[in-house]
Amino acid sequence: MSALGGAKPAGGSTGIAPVPTLISLVIFVIIFAIMYMYGGSLGVTALIGIVIGGLLIGFGVHFVPVGGAPAAMGQAPGIATGVAMLAAGGGLAGLFGGAWAASQGTLVAVVTGAIGGGLMLAITCFFVNFVYIYGMGIPAASGKVKKDPITGDSQPEYKSQGTEGHGLPFVSFVGGVIGGILGGAGGTLIYLMLLDVYNASLPGVMKATAVQVEPIAVSLAGMFAIGMFLVIAVLAAYNITGTIEGPHDPKFKRFPRALIASAVASALCGVAAIMLVMV
Amino acid sequence: MDNIVFSIGITALAGALATVAGAAEDVESDIGSQGDPNSQVQLAPQMGYIHRIYNKAIAGEPPAWGLWIALGAGIAWAFMAMQINPILAIVLGAGLATFVQGVYSTTAYLGRTASLSKFGQPVYIDIIKSMTTVTMAHAFVAIFATVTLCHLMNAALGHPFPLPLLGLVWGIALGAAGSATGNPYYGKERQYQTQNFGAGVPISASGNIVRYAEAGERNSLDNGFFTAKLGGPASGVCFGLIVFLELWRTVLFEKIGAGWGAIIVGVIIILIFTIIDRYIEVWARKNYGPYTKPEETSS
Repeated sequence: MSALGGAKPAGGSTGIAPVPTLISLVIFVIIFAIMYMYGGSLGVTALIGIVIGGLLIGFGVHFVPVGGAPAAMGQAPGIATGVAMLAAGGGLAGLFGGAWAASQGTLVAVVTGAIGGGLMLAITCFFVNFVYIYGMGIPAASGKVKKDPITGDSQPEYKSQGTEGHGLPFVSFVGGVIGGILGGAGGTLIYLMLLDVYNASLPGVMKATAVQVEPIAVSLAGMFAIGMFLVIAVLAAYNITGTIEGPHDPKFKRFPRALIASAVASALCGVAAIMLVMV
Repeated sequence: MDNIVFSIGITALAGALATVAGAAEDVESDIGSQGDPNSQVQLAPQMGYIHRIYNKAIAGEPPAWGLWIALGAGIAWAFMAMQINPILAIVLGAGLATFVQGVYSTTAYLGRTASLSKFGQPVYIDIIKSMTTVTMAHAFVAIFATVTLCHLMNAALGHPFPLPLLGLVWGIALGAAGSATGNPYYGKERQYQTQNFGAGVPISASGNIVRYAEAGERNSLDNGFFTAKLGGPASGVCFGLIVFLELWRTVLFEKIGAGWGAIIVGVIIILIFTIIDRYIEVWARKNYGPYTKPEETSS
């Protein structure tokens, strides 16, 4: 983010370059072929889950309204911190809840993780508006749309002079919650897939009982899940380049590119995490 | 029943610790100028405004706090494995992590300020001596409180993650909540105190931060004094609510409907925050009014 602040020109390139996409696809297929050779159906199933988790995270990051440094001066709408960091904060809070509910089945754990991430970002987004409104006397206003797509509230006249807007209009709040939900679900899904693989493979690798290896399996799966979350969140943040207001921002249309990158990155990280115990 | 009462007590204690941690984290970040508003502290000398504000943005707040709290939790965990009393182990872990924070702060201040030498910004040794220790003190409070609540989650509530991993997760969440809530108050309301109240800082004013106090030049301790009144407590309540409500819904409702009880309660809490947010948004629009006359919209 520029030290001078101010939102960058909206939109930018949203197209998908064919050559890098083709290369990504080839890498993706090779990774799955390697996984099938060494990990069999258990490895491939886990890798599919990890890729789905990665796609959820990569897509979810685009919903989180992040204003970076300009938002900290009330010069641009959004939350005044980095894209990857805020998404990680919400997603990892979701992973905390999802990991706790792991024993209750994949569906319950993933939904619990999703709600945990959504809850973290709902509270955070609320406090952003609380500080803007009651601490600084500034109403929320978007700089990218004339009307809030959900409430229909007009925005331009609520922008103070010389700024791109400030605070979190309702659509950005909803975007933040959706981003947290997707991030929490994705992080938890990656964790559960890795946990299954480690629980199945570690007793043989370490020549120990399932009960003995459980703490190691949980720790390893947790570390890899957090690591993959950060990899994908940073990739998506590069796609966003700086700041985004939420789903109504023109930059949101760039998400297909991030999905391709997230799929390949999560497959690559996933194959490394799985082959750690399977080769 | 006793088990639930015990869990609720732990939940309340964890929420209270998180509130203290959030407040200390934000004040540390404001005195140390750790978050996004530090872009203006770095920019000011380039625009000709020499100042005595601490300048450290080591990394974004969430990863920085993830590091310090994972470090404190990891050291505490190692001491506990050596059969040292948990309270003593956490104090030692938090203390050692605080020294790492102090080293990072000093090198960040020296490096960042030295890079501004061509714009005439001096490195003030008295600033290093007086501010670094204050940021370390606040960091110790935040690290100790967060590592303790992670220990409670692991040892008393039975979360499967080991202590260092919980430290990383909640450290990043602490930094995210603290920077989201506290940064605008420090960035806009304090650094640009001379600008109009109730409006954002015009982009043209970037770099012109307030450099003088009631007596003499303003320093970062004055900023801590100011932000401790609203930015710090708001960050504390934000992080406290995140921790408390996440634990509360799990502890009380997880057993209902094979896990779906906690999910439904979570959805209800999200909806409640959504309604309150919408209420204050509309309240602000009505009470503060527009800055300009509404545009004629052709659509």
